[in-house]
Amino acid sequence: MRIQAEHLSYTYNPGSPFSSAALKDVSLSVEEGEFFGIIGHTGSGKSTFVQHLNALLRVPTSLKKYRKKHKAPPSNTVLRVGEFDLTDKKTDFNALRSKVGMVMQYPEYQLFAETVFEDVAFGYKNFAPEKPTKEQVESAVRDALTIVGLNYDEVKEMSPFDLSGGQKRRVAIAGVIVTKPEILVLDEPAAGLDPLGKQEVMELLHRLHASWCKTIIIVSHDMDEIAENCTRVAVFSDGEVKYVLPPKELFRHAEELLALGLDVPLTAKICLALKEYGIRLECDFTTEDFLKKALALQGKGGSV
Amino acid sequence: MMKDVAFGQYYPTKSYVHNLDPRLKIVFLIAYIVAIFLAKNFYGLACCFVVLALSIGFSRVPVLRVFKAIKGILFLIVFTTLLNLLFYNGETVYAEWWIFTITKEGILFSVFLVIRLVLLITCSSLLTYTTTPVALTDGIESLLFPLTLIRFPVRELAQIMSIALRYIPILMDETERIMNAQKARGANFETGGLVSRVKAVIPVLIPLLLSSFRRAEELGDAMEARCYTGGRKRTKYKKLRFTWRDLLAFFAGAALITGVVLLNVYLGAMI
Repeated sequence: MRIQAEHLSYTYNPGSPFSSAALKDVSLSVEEGEFFGIIGHTGSGKSTFVQHLNALLRVPTSLKKYRKKHKAPPSNTVLRVGEFDLTDKKTDFNALRSKVGMVMQYPEYQLFAETVFEDVAFGYKNFAPEKPTKEQVESAVRDALTIVGLNYDEVKEMSPFDLSGGQKRRVAIAGVIVTKPEILVLDEPAAGLDPLGKQEVMELLHRLHASWCKTIIIVSHDMDEIAENCTRVAVFSDGEVKYVLPPKELFRHAEELLALGLDVPLTAKICLALKEYGIRLECDFTTEDFLKKALALQGKGGSV
Repeated sequence: MMKDVAFGQYYPTKSYVHNLDPRLKIVFLIAYIVAIFLAKNFYGLACCFVVLALSIGFSRVPVLRVFKAIKGILFLIVFTTLLNLLFYNGETVYAEWWIFTITKEGILFSVFLVIRLVLLITCSSLLTYTTTPVALTDGIESLLFPLTLIRFPVRELAQIMSIALRYIPILMDETERIMNAQKARGANFETGGLVSRVKAVIPVLIPLLLSSFRRAEELGDAMEARCYTGGRKRTKYKKLRFTWRDLLAFFAGAALITGVVLLNVYLGAMI
């Protein structure tokens, strides 16, 4: 499913002294099959944008209240996810949500059920068009727990609160992907984990990308993570999209990004520092490629 | 949905009323409520209304916003009005049916009551509109200070109150976040019968409860790490100071009560 947004704006608390424009005329599209990254400051509108994708925030024209006030939708806003038109109030938003999975920040804080099984099954049962049989639920939960790297028979009867931090996060992710969404959106999926845990989560995401979820969108502050994994990156700043580029092109603008108050990957920082010494190092900013190019440069006699 | 909950609804702007000492505002509110209940005729209530209108004017809070607070007690107003209208024992009977009687006195009394209730709610909500929760607790702490003489833990109480108030918006945000997360997993909070709606709340309530315990523990640790101990003589970051503005408002309050009592005496009680 392709995501297409044009002229999307959103204001929190419109018409009150607390009103603030979170999105200003954003146009952005994500193709099917991408591993898309979104970066930006806190309050840059990135969370607001991703919450639109599964209608947790609604385009005003899709709301009854708005339709009552204004007869025809006057805006030129376009927001489509696959065949779903999110500006239309007749859209089946529940069906949309089963196709667009959303993993919030620190998803382990949303676990609630007595057993891991019940928690993962929650979404599956909610979205099932008719009451699923016991076997259907069981196989769906088994698949979801297996793909996130947990042993189904071991954890299914455990309380989710007895698991370790990393395991809890996997269970929470399993609870979202149990419906096999085509698009998976994750807000800071690796935040608060140790380096090994981070790596495991990223591996899990690639596993999902190769099997169930055609498109993956991650919101992240960790630029190394973005540089290593994403096919394209959108930079949000102050409610607007500043750049949409593949990471290897984006981080050539390291100085501009730093001026926006954003971080850049370690590799880009080193490239910047080398530039001051007159050494040009062209790489795609993944650690592997960077090392290769740097070693090649050293071999040529460049003093690195 | 959470944004509709009208609590701690501070309206941020700069005005004479906003700048008043919170202690004075609390005392003034109490005086005002006493005046409303002392008023025995419409002239007294009219006085109260004028004072309220002036206060709203000076506070620069939009009038519609102030009166929005009435929505919350609309049911109460309608209910009491109907009861009084239909059952008040008056002399001049306009209509009679079964056990209901509508009398002139009943109508007047109902109107009187409605005005009283509306004034009561609007003036209290004006206080929360113009005073930050922190200033409010500071004010209450300061006013309750005499109670420390009988070893009543006023400071601790104020501390607990300000922490509780501080955490309301945080917990509201948290609720919304968790609700969104469960909505993304297909939870439905809007439709269904009573049982299914109560059931739908569980996936929100349990994580919320857990996180508030977690936050309480974290806050306790953080306070201990900063050597917080209750009970000692603690200094304040923001000291309350009485100024000429406050004196002016104080006299206005005193004048209002005197005026209402005098009106009662000279023009006679209506009820």
